[in-house]
Amino acid sequence: MLSVLILTTFAAFYTEDEAPADSPAVETISTYNPDGLSKEGIQAAYDTVSPAVCVVAYTLEVTNASGEASRRNRSALGLVVAEDGLVMTHGHLLLENRKPINIKVTIGEGDAQKEYEGALLAKPDDINVCFIRIKDLDGLKLPYATFDSVDTLELGDPIMSIGILSQALDYARSVQTRRVGAILEEPRTAYAVDQTFAFGFVGGPVFSADGRAIGVIGFDLSTEEGGEIYTRSGYPLIFQASLFQPHIDTPPGEEEEKTPEDDAFMGVFTQPLTDDLARYWGVEETGGIVVSTVLPGSPAARAGLRMGDLLKDFNGNPITAKLDQEVAKFTRMVRESPLDTPLPFTMIRDGETTEETITLTVRPKSRRDANEYEDERLGLTVREVTLDVRITLNLAEDVQGVIVRRVQSGSAANQAQLRPGMVILRVGDEAIANLEEFEAISHKLAEEKPAEITIFCRVGATTAFFRMQPRWDD
Amino acid sequence: MKNTALTLLFIVILCGGCASTGVSSQNAVIHAKNQAAPALVHIRPVKEVFQRGRRREVLITGSGFIISPDGYVVTNEHVAGRSSLVRCVLGDKTEVSAVVVGTDTFTDIAVLKLDTDRTDLPFVTMGESVGLEAGQTVMALGSPHGLARSVSMGIVSVTDRYLAGNNGQSISPYNNWIQTDAAINPGNSGGPLVNLRGEVIGINTRRLSSADNVGFAIPIDVAKRVVDEIIETGKVTRSTTGLKFQEMTRKTDDPAQRGVVISDVDPLSPAFQARIRPGDILTAVNGIPTHARFVEDLTTVRNLVADVPVGSEVTLSIRRGTQAADIAMKTAEKSRFVGEESEFEAWGCSLSELSPDVIRRAQLTSRNGVVTSGVRPGGLAANAGLKPGDIILRIDDSEIQNLSSFKEIFDGLIEDGTPLVLLTVKNGALSRFVLLKQEPLAEIQGEN
Repeated sequence: MLSVLILTTFAAFYTEDEAPADSPAVETISTYNPDGLSKEGIQAAYDTVSPAVCVVAYTLEVTNASGEASRRNRSALGLVVAEDGLVMTHGHLLLENRKPINIKVTIGEGDAQKEYEGALLAKPDDINVCFIRIKDLDGLKLPYATFDSVDTLELGDPIMSIGILSQALDYARSVQTRRVGAILEEPRTAYAVDQTFAFGFVGGPVFSADGRAIGVIGFDLSTEEGGEIYTRSGYPLIFQASLFQPHIDTPPGEEEEKTPEDDAFMGVFTQPLTDDLARYWGVEETGGIVVSTVLPGSPAARAGLRMGDLLKDFNGNPITAKLDQEVAKFTRMVRESPLDTPLPFTMIRDGETTEETITLTVRPKSRRDANEYEDERLGLTVREVTLDVRITLNLAEDVQGVIVRRVQSGSAANQAQLRPGMVILRVGDEAIANLEEFEAISHKLAEEKPAEITIFCRVGATTAFFRMQPRWDD
Repeated sequence: MKNTALTLLFIVILCGGCASTGVSSQNAVIHAKNQAAPALVHIRPVKEVFQRGRRREVLITGSGFIISPDGYVVTNEHVAGRSSLVRCVLGDKTEVSAVVVGTDTFTDIAVLKLDTDRTDLPFVTMGESVGLEAGQTVMALGSPHGLARSVSMGIVSVTDRYLAGNNGQSISPYNNWIQTDAAINPGNSGGPLVNLRGEVIGINTRRLSSADNVGFAIPIDVAKRVVDEIIETGKVTRSTTGLKFQEMTRKTDDPAQRGVVISDVDPLSPAFQARIRPGDILTAVNGIPTHARFVEDLTTVRNLVADVPVGSEVTLSIRRGTQAADIAMKTAEKSRFVGEESEFEAWGCSLSELSPDVIRRAQLTSRNGVVTSGVRPGGLAANAGLKPGDIILRIDDSEIQNLSSFKEIFDGLIEDGTPLVLLTVKNGALSRFVLLKQEPLAEIQGEN
């Protein structure tokens, strides 16, 4: 039995040059069938949406643990989600150690197909998808998919998805039907599909039994949602439209690609206040969250928060986190809070309840947004040290530098035994505080061409010197 | 024509030489073997190992050699250290128990005392490693793969090999190694490397597993000092100032630059308090000039500091840029390389003392705490979310000083049957609380 769905419209349509730019969205496909997807319904969904399904071909640059980059060609399904050339695709295109280059988007099939260059936009934090902007459309309007926001699927509900077959089969558009196999409640409602999909379906549009597009096929929750990135859990999820629609409405901008969003930052790590912990501390088991780590120099540190403080509410919202997965809700609450204004919160410390305020700041850049700089002469790519890396490597606040990301095989950096993960603290006698300073010194070295350069690095928990002898003549 | 004649002559002489050396070298080899073999010991310790939070005992095989008529035996720490029982099979195939007199993890040396009243035991002649030369014939005696009384022969490949681990740090800061191509296999560990006079010049300890016949022995000159100290005091004590050193070529290839590069200063150390910083050059220790142009020279410098009595004053001559200064400080005791480890069965975990490396990585501001070395799946600790690598700083309101203070508190908690125990732990940059429910399973089920 299908639950009641919120009805809006779904459409995918071609708009030729001569067509008015403000073409109305096309009609809903009226093929509601309580027993599942009818043959006619499948055909109608296919006819309407498959033009928006495209092929994204790219070269994936994968960096292994020792920092060596290798390249391989890949293709994936893309879905045009705005007529001006916004394409949504799977989130594994861009991960910590993989970066797509040379992105081409092929729209249409057979003789009608046309290839465009694409530019990767910033990856959203809250959902594991990527967006590509098609370049040089010259005002051409593309067929695109629109979605209904449906968060009320039930176990066993039939769904259908459109995907692409392999290159050998000319990326033919294909449909597959499944059922909702599981409903996950935390950290948000998520639907798992009862059987796996081939890779060509990841990112493909998902239709409910009444023929409306309600989301796309995805894999893995985003890290923001507590997901393990690239788990290959094997169980596809339905990313419901409400999760990605805001990103379609306001695409992660090309210019903003390297700047952090205006997410708010508190600077704490928290753990749930389980009933047992509440019992241990003799506080009511009515919920709250436990501050486990306060990052030095953060808004939380300035507000005087300490390990062991219990937060009962924040900015007027009660906090209940009894399970690990409920911590993400608090994280999201903080992120979406206003910046630079004192926000009230209730705290229990040593049995005493007090009302406090905290002023949140902009969330610091993460490693994903970190800038890199490559010095080809030295054979070295370095990256700025972001807060998350600082936490991962447990770097003290006063450790300033850049982190070695890649070392070119056979290069001067390679011969000096520099390795990815080392933090460059000094070059010669000059301390390196950030990427800009490294870049400046790199230019200076290229001019001065010294026979040897001493690099001072943090290696693991200790420090060491490395001597580079660049081959300036090459 | 002249050349041909010369070549022929050369071949004849060489062959003649071969023939005569053949007999004498054969005799020399047998003679040398006979000198050392009676003192060779086949060692079978029952060692304590910790796996996934549980203490287990495993029987292993190693080698050793008797150094005195009353039965002191030298072997490797990795053979006999942390063992609950040591059985030794002597050269005459008699079996004797032994006790571990002491160990030194830095040099990987252990001294055993055979449990015997005999004072007529065969013992080896200690040679010297100082005059060794690459190319010199040596023999390795021991029990490769458990095969007792085995002898293999080769030459010294390198006399002062410096071995660095994956992290670039020396795996044996106080000694270089004799590299040999005499076959050394698992089970040879602790056995003697002898010269053609039958004198022990090294202790066979390591090998490159991915290579053929690249073995390493601890030079006997290093071993002799360690063994003497263990026999005298039961342990080896070293001084530290908290400095790490690198060779000068890490900074410059200029041979005129003398000294040793200070690459790292432990924040919890006398040198840090004395404001010595990485990049400073150490030019002398107590007036004795120090110079390490190459990596092999570093062990000498480390030993200069290590050999100063713990807690006594040491003067380091430091050069920073164009400035020079003599800085005096009291040395601290060098912590053990590997901390003691214990199983806490009731909680299903094993814990270790904090090693300097763990303290450094966690950026602890003191040396207090214990580190989780393993958790048993399904145990209380595992269920509470304790993970290997977690450093336990507090139990309830009590700070943990070390493993013995943890044991004391733990025993009290077990005796009292305290239902809920709160651990404050740190892992990397992050801290958290871990709550252990000590209630017996039956009671928990009863509650539901």
